[in-house]
Amino acid sequence: MTNRKAAKSTTSLALGPTLFHWDAERWRDFYFRIADEADIETVYLGEVVCAKRRPFILPHIAAVHERLKKAGKDVVLSTLALIMTAEEMDEIKQTTVDADLTFEANDISTASLLAGRRHVIGPFVNAYNGGTINYLAKRGAYRISLPAELSLDTLEALGQTKAVKDVSLEVQVFGRLPLAISARCYHARAHDLHKDGCQFVCGNDPDGLTIETLDDEPFLAINGTQTLSDTYCSLLAELPALKAAGIDSFRLWPHSCDMVQVAALFRSALDDAMAVEEAEARLDEIIGDVPLANGYLHGQEGRLWVEAAAE
Amino acid sequence: MATTGAKAKPETILGDLELICPAGTPAALRAAVDAGAEAVYLGFRDETNARNFPGLNFSPEELADGLEYAHARYCMVFVAINTFPRAGAPEAWHRAIDCAADLGVDAVILADIGILDYAARQHPDLRLHLSVQASASNAEAIRFYHEAFGVRRVVLPRVLTVEDIAELNSQIPVETEVFAFGGMCPMAEGRCLLSSYVTGKSPNITGVCSPASHVRYEERGSEMVSRLGDFTINIFQQSDAAGYPTLCKGRFVADGRASYLFEAPTSLNVLPLLPELMAAGVSALKIEGRQRGRAYTAQVVAAFRAAIDACRRGEPIPEMPQLADVTEGQRETSGAYRRAWR
Amino acid sequence: MVNLTAMTDILNDSQDSPEQGGKGAISAGRASMVPPFSPVLLGGLLLAPIPNVVLRPLLRAVMASVTKQHPGMFERLDSHADTIFLIDPVDLPIRFLLKADAEQPKLTIAREADVSRATAAIHGSLLALIDLLEGRVDGDALFFSRRLLIEGDTEAVVALRNAVDGEEIDIIDDILVRAGPLARPARRAAKVALRLARRAGADMAMLQDALLQPAMERIETQTAAVDHLHQSMARSGSSRRRRASKTPAVQG
Repeated sequence: MTNRKAAKSTTSLALGPTLFHWDAERWRDFYFRIADEADIETVYLGEVVCAKRRPFILPHIAAVHERLKKAGKDVVLSTLALIMTAEEMDEIKQTTVDADLTFEANDISTASLLAGRRHVIGPFVNAYNGGTINYLAKRGAYRISLPAELSLDTLEALGQTKAVKDVSLEVQVFGRLPLAISARCYHARAHDLHKDGCQFVCGNDPDGLTIETLDDEPFLAINGTQTLSDTYCSLLAELPALKAAGIDSFRLWPHSCDMVQVAALFRSALDDAMAVEEAEARLDEIIGDVPLANGYLHGQEGRLWVEAAAE
Repeated sequence: MATTGAKAKPETILGDLELICPAGTPAALRAAVDAGAEAVYLGFRDETNARNFPGLNFSPEELADGLEYAHARYCMVFVAINTFPRAGAPEAWHRAIDCAADLGVDAVILADIGILDYAARQHPDLRLHLSVQASASNAEAIRFYHEAFGVRRVVLPRVLTVEDIAELNSQIPVETEVFAFGGMCPMAEGRCLLSSYVTGKSPNITGVCSPASHVRYEERGSEMVSRLGDFTINIFQQSDAAGYPTLCKGRFVADGRASYLFEAPTSLNVLPLLPELMAAGVSALKIEGRQRGRAYTAQVVAAFRAAIDACRRGEPIPEMPQLADVTEGQRETSGAYRRAWR
Repeated sequence: MVNLTAMTDILNDSQDSPEQGGKGAISAGRASMVPPFSPVLLGGLLLAPIPNVVLRPLLRAVMASVTKQHPGMFERLDSHADTIFLIDPVDLPIRFLLKADAEQPKLTIAREADVSRATAAIHGSLLALIDLLEGRVDGDALFFSRRLLIEGDTEAVVALRNAVDGEEIDIIDDILVRAGPLARPARRAAKVALRLARRAGADMAMLQDALLQPAMERIETQTAAVDHLHQSMARSGSSRRRRASKTPAVQG
């Protein structure tokens, strides 16, 4: 007998940190527009993929942070997913020293630094079960952004674990899904370069670079040291089921399409103000000819698109 | 190091390089022990470990027999319980830890925080090793696991250079174990969803990557195509050595150019780096390959045994032509240990 | 005088290409494996007239011996107890069906009609199959060793390889001696014969390569020419699927 948690009356839409290497001004202007126009509760900000990119956005973070806060958004500063050197660790230590700011830990080391303070556990930390979530929650995590490969069954089971009722659970519902992180830079490799002399070629591909098989099938996408799905996740049809399972925060990954419109669409769908068919049609108009997938949530291969069965 | 069951090897020197060897089956365990391993690692026959392949691994009875065989020959036994339990059903993982502890294994290799917590509370005397699947790639992460759960050794993710490792060892209170031979993961392990994206099964939850159930080879004229699920991973000419379609070891096209974009199907082999790894303070070398078989295990362990012994005596490492047979695609690499790999 | 082409024709039928991943159809005839030119191939032809009625009790004895010596093996195959394996030594005129049910494991001779019942198949020279049984085939190399061709339920075949690898099976000691076909005194001779067969097989393979070399060179040249033509065709006017590049109408 599923003891379904009553759906919260407020559900939070969140904009994940921009995973791609956008030009600094473009990055800044994107967030200014989000502050002014987007109907979302939470904005994650910061470099998650590659430490080499951080200097570019650093000059603009304070201004963006302020504009978002003035617009009433919750701002969470995201941190690196893979931290390998003492230098990278030192930088994170310096960044997170400000106790007035809220941070997202994408590596267990950062979570350890933030213990005792209110923080978010990002989707790059493995939180697959109640045991782990309870442990992290006891150390100050108020929200867990869950890894992409969890099925609805797992999410429902998570929603029933004791301490979890006090913790916000977040699921990725739009955008290319991050699948892997590496020390090796695939963008550099694709251009016959090494990570140390990369010339920031990842900046050429604002949504990631599509990778195909030898049979010309689109397969994955690369973004520097990160590998993502080629397909865009879209869980418009599954939002009611997610809410019923106890998920209260919904993450949109930023892409170069009109994210203000995407956010508005997901908002309408979350508020049950738009039928799924219409929402999906409108999404197609916004993002263009992009393959969609929702397989993970249905317990299947992540790349699949599963038609919503009649409930 | 203090252990629960193995007799202390008479000539063990503190700071020595231990050889940790894969035992996919009881026969492979015996082969590894006989070839001179200081420890073998294995898993139970279910998804509690990251080599959950059909026909592989140990029943509790086989583990008990293996322990007896190994301990009598000064060899330790570690049990890998290193996947991430599904929400709502951690029992299999709890049972695995209880069983391993009751039988007197020398250590369990864990990754999930909830499971580490369980093991530390329920079995305070059980030695805990941190799996590579915990992706603990820096001093802060390693210190966390040590302080929170009493972890005594960490298997380092295959993303660090030898220099990174030397620096790390000077900052952490636990032993380090590094991969020395076998298949390589170019991605941070434990956090890779590539396999579940294509096949629905991941090393994190199910304990498999690029599972055989989704593998298919097709002949197309003079070519052989290897497929995983719905994707072509590689195409071989008849004369080429073909390869297993591990997702990230295929050839893919970026900007119109085909290459082994993620990683070529090479085998990691740190033999040339042995003296540097010793100098970097590494405690143990881990041989990958529980699924390879007992012939592979015997060959590789014997080669590394000879090499480590030579190194300890200050002699040059002998040539190892017998390893050529077992290196994937007959190509070798020092992987991420050299910065040039990035 | 041995006619290589004729032998190949006898032992090869046309093949189906496998279906959806992992559980492809088993070829109705032999898969497209050319049996190696080896003493087994020559010896196998001599075996052809031996009636199955002689072989059947032999197979039962073999199974009884294996089950007794290696009870753990079928326990390992528990998750694939329903699989029907086709074991196909391509250089012998017989094939076998194996059902790895732990309660009642069975090894029988496969007739033509039986082949379609198989859900997994392993094709290879006898020596390659013995290598597999005795744990000399690498787990990663199983699919691409080129000495073995795997079809059908690939997961079941991996399970079988892992199960036999875990058992230290010695075909002569465990099976041929204990099951009865060889008396103990013949054991040493049999071991020597196996060693010689391997060496002779290697020599004959070299001989075969030498004989075929001029033909191979001609084929390689032609293949290269065809590939070149393909590439030229592909470059001119191909319809490669391209994603419409997205230029956002407004920033963000």
